Amino acid sequence: MMRKKLMTKPGLSLEWLGSNMTTVGPIIFVIAVVAIFQVINPSFLKYRGIITLVYSMSYFLIAACGLTFVIMTGSFDFSVPNMLKLSALICVLYIEKIGLLVIPLALLVCLGFGFINGLLLAKFKVPSFLATLGVSIVVDGIAWYLSKGHLRIMQDETFRSLATTFIAGFPSILYWGMGVWILSTFLALCTVFGRRTYAVGGNLEGAGLSDINIAWHRIKVFMLSGFLSGLAGVLYMSQMGGGSVKIAADMAIPLFASVVAGGTALTGGVGGPHRTLMGVIIITWIQAGMSMLAIGNDVQMLTFGLIAIGMSIATIDRKRIKIVK
Amino acid sequence: MNHSRRNKPTLSVIKQTLKMHPVIIVFLALLLIFGSIYPGSFFSPINFKAILRQFVTLTLFALGPSFVVLTGRLDLSYVGVWMLGGVLVWLCKPVLGMFSIIMIPVTGIATGLFIGVIQTKAKIPSFILTLSLVVTYTGLSALIAGGYPRAVDGYEFITAPLIPLIPSTFIWSIPIIIAAVFLMKCTRICVYLNAIGSNEEGARLAGINVDKYKILAFMLSGVFTGIGGIILFQHLGGSAQVELKLNTIVWPLVAIVLGGTPLTGGSGGPQRTILGAITFTVFYRGLYLSALHPTMITLLVGIVLIVSIIISARGLKGVTVT
Amino acid sequence: MNDKLLEVKEVYKTFDGVVHALKCVSIEACENEIVGVVGENGAGKSTLMKILVGVYSPDKGEMYHKGKMIPFPRTPKEAAKRGISIVYQENGVIPWLKVYQFLFLGHEDKYIKYMKLQTVRMKEKACEILEELHVACEVEAFMHELPLSTQKMVEIARAILGVRLESEDGDTTPIIILDEPTAPLTDDECKELFRDLLKMKKNASFIFISHIIPEVMEFTDRVHVLRDGNLVAKYDFSKEKMTEEDLFRAIVGRKSSEYISRSEDRGAADEEVVLAAKNLTKSGHFYDVSFDLHKGTCIGFFGPTGSGKSKIIRTIAGLMNYDEGELKARDQELKGDELPHVRLTRGIGYFSGETGKELFLNWSIAKNISIINMEKILGKLIPVIHFNAERKMAENIVQKLEIKAPSVGTDCYSLSGGNKQKVSVGKWLERNPDILLLDDPTIGIDVGAREDIYEVLLEMKKKGISMILVSDEPKEYSILCDKIMFVMDGRIQKVLGPEEFRKVMST
Repeated sequence: MMRKKLMTKPGLSLEWLGSNMTTVGPIIFVIAVVAIFQVINPSFLKYRGIITLVYSMSYFLIAACGLTFVIMTGSFDFSVPNMLKLSALICVLYIEKIGLLVIPLALLVCLGFGFINGLLLAKFKVPSFLATLGVSIVVDGIAWYLSKGHLRIMQDETFRSLATTFIAGFPSILYWGMGVWILSTFLALCTVFGRRTYAVGGNLEGAGLSDINIAWHRIKVFMLSGFLSGLAGVLYMSQMGGGSVKIAADMAIPLFASVVAGGTALTGGVGGPHRTLMGVIIITWIQAGMSMLAIGNDVQMLTFGLIAIGMSIATIDRKRIKIVK
Repeated sequence: MNHSRRNKPTLSVIKQTLKMHPVIIVFLALLLIFGSIYPGSFFSPINFKAILRQFVTLTLFALGPSFVVLTGRLDLSYVGVWMLGGVLVWLCKPVLGMFSIIMIPVTGIATGLFIGVIQTKAKIPSFILTLSLVVTYTGLSALIAGGYPRAVDGYEFITAPLIPLIPSTFIWSIPIIIAAVFLMKCTRICVYLNAIGSNEEGARLAGINVDKYKILAFMLSGVFTGIGGIILFQHLGGSAQVELKLNTIVWPLVAIVLGGTPLTGGSGGPQRTILGAITFTVFYRGLYLSALHPTMITLLVGIVLIVSIIISARGLKGVTVT
Repeated sequence: MNDKLLEVKEVYKTFDGVVHALKCVSIEACENEIVGVVGENGAGKSTLMKILVGVYSPDKGEMYHKGKMIPFPRTPKEAAKRGISIVYQENGVIPWLKVYQFLFLGHEDKYIKYMKLQTVRMKEKACEILEELHVACEVEAFMHELPLSTQKMVEIARAILGVRLESEDGDTTPIIILDEPTAPLTDDECKELFRDLLKMKKNASFIFISHIIPEVMEFTDRVHVLRDGNLVAKYDFSKEKMTEEDLFRAIVGRKSSEYISRSEDRGAADEEVVLAAKNLTKSGHFYDVSFDLHKGTCIGFFGPTGSGKSKIIRTIAGLMNYDEGELKARDQELKGDELPHVRLTRGIGYFSGETGKELFLNWSIAKNISIINMEKILGKLIPVIHFNAERKMAENIVQKLEIKAPSVGTDCYSLSGGNKQKVSVGKWLERNPDILLLDDPTIGIDVGAREDIYEVLLEMKKKGISMILVSDEPKEYSILCDKIMFVMDGRIQKVLGPEEFRKVMST
């Protein structure tokens, strides 16, 4: 095996490239994206530009990591954007009353809704996209109800410094994002939890025969996703310093697109958070680059919709599934 | 002998119908409850008209997708078809004149074909495929229209009042509803769609070209959404919309599920969707008249969606859900 | 009786040019009779049937219909035109269609006028045919509301109707192939089905595929026995007297020299009972099953497919619930609704030979082995997977079982069938459960790999792991088991030692 590898010179042969497309593809894509924007807009890779990129990708990365775990099990979590919103709003609404305790409160609320998502799927047998769609509407309703639809500004400086303190030239939200990314990669690749998540997505029947409580594991995965979207919401509020119920409205498809663009297939069992980083970079940098060039929201939506469809087609393993609904 | 089998006493027919469509009980109960809480306002002509108006919106959006739900898949593209179609009407108006309204059905059919082929051949879960497509269409519509709604004149005759108290769009939508129910009740297409939703492998063993009929289901959805879109275009303001609202996607879905078409497919169809649409409308109007905050209503809609899905999914053992 | 309705002669079929699925098989069906085709799994029954209905085409062979030579059908529709139709073992019923819709499914062409289905005419025709065939059900009922046996009958009626609607000349006698029709039915439902089938005999001929010997003995007129793709025997029950055991031996028959059991492999007479069942019952599948499994021994449940043996082992594994009785592992009671992962914590592992059932094919060998041995490769302080330990564990197993793979990082789906099976066994070797349930552990793999797997299993038995075996391969029982329970119709008929078993089985 070793000799064979040496003889065929990895990196260069087309075969090797073909078989590792899911790994190499996103990287090539990222380089292409950066190159294009750099050519069109020379300030793209200047310090200010990079800071913009960092700001736009960090909270997104955290939410995407949570979603990745769900997609790895073959399910879908539609409620991530709305949970992010609810968590952000809880922070801004109650910071004056209970101080920094809002952070655990927001995280707990999201954890709870994640639990409900998982419960609906695992115990009540509701298909996950619909369960999470329903929960997402409920969460949306709560967010409206709590905020009454007004724009709120975050006044607390300590809270804001969570994401905006500069350390070694970068805002702290980058370290949060990368930290969560490293932790979830670690969780997915090096722990029993991660191994079991792959197992549930890869072969549900086999997973049931080997030490795994499928129902409970699915619930745990949804709770993780809820928790991470809550965390993303807290950091989002800390970064932006204010917001209304309109935030995160168009996030669902870019989020999903970033996960599949990284190489985590909708059928589950492959990919992982380590891949999602590249996907998030592709999506958020395209977004930031377009915004810098004053390209409107419409073209962005169009692009992300197409990326989502294209990447789902590219990543899905059609041999393994017979009937898809 | 055959005739004696069909001549059942009226009472048992009613019983049977109620058993098949438990939503009728909910509907009557809602009428009773809201009627007794707000006797004046609920049965007022204004409310009656509002109910009919909203019923039209919901039904025309939900009729098409119910063909797809019958096969156990989902089609959320209706909002996209309506928006992109509307924008194309605006775009083509100078060239095609009044005929440019044809762009909505054309968009519908093309979308249906596209989704059908991609879904069956590339095996992408329909929910995520159609959702992504809706977002793509929204972006495209906004791009074409330049980012804000564009009014299109000339189709006011669709909403011109014909009969007092009854919105004329309601009258226009009756033939569409009849066509959908006819397709459902009287042709083989819906037997096949039912069969596919109920047991796809079995349908294949029975010699049905399953892929063809799945694509057909998506196309039917596109056709009905497209034709309904003509009416809805004027009904919802006579302008090309460019903003995507979650509610527009979710409410027709609630109508379908509430009507009793289980999302796993296999039974139900357009005729149940109509029941679901009217029930949901009454429910919504009733809440609207109450002192509840509008946001509470959104919340309740979400809960109704979840509960009706749970109820319609009950008894489906051995189905793997993801 | 002698006019042959359908005859196929000397059919050959190979897959991929290597595996001989059928070698020179001839069968015939006469008018108005039920012909049985019996054989073990993999004997070639379903291949033969698929050739008859046009799903596969044979390499060589001839087909005669009423004495006239005809080409083999190429599609199921062509087969229906010649009067041949099939009722599949499973998945044939569409639960949410009404009976009359289901009857006409796929054959509506003649009942369409201006796009409109003529439901009234369809219902009348449906009533007519159901009455003719003595099927008692409402045409307006949903399929899923009917009892299972009636569902099967409606399926058969559908096959007959399909032939009538499709065939070119109106009076072709339909030949209906029944692929193990009784598999999902309970005893009573089976009886009902057969009562109705016998009534239908005057409307059609049936080719009846089954493993279940009593059924075949009772209801068929003649029987063809297939073994390993060969036609090994033909019996005419009206002329020959046979017992069930005779037929069973014809189906599984092997030379006696194949039943070697090595006495040194017999389990030690350990008194400790690790698993005890008392009057375990799941109505419709098995009744009053009682046994004591001693430490380091192996019990086999032996019997024809459909006898309930695999249901028993699935119940113990936690894949099925039981209705009555007691199941105890040492002192803990095993409740019926426990899932497999709970059973595993109580020391009961389930190993199935079906490929892809418990393996994660896109995973490496190492991961597949470690998935049930996580605690061995986790760090002491923080529960993190130690990849070195994982690799060592896997390398150890790979070496021990001589799994042929470039490295332990190789993905499982690139392995051969035998090596996949060895990976599955390997993970249990590492896990060391109290009890290992073997559900057809060597299905579909070659002889050499089989021997290797037996070696491993015997070694595990020596280490004190108790086993329960269910298999289609009689040889396996004599190699592995210390006690063989003969199951028929869901009940344990007799208990044999390995020597007795060998005597009974060798002809």
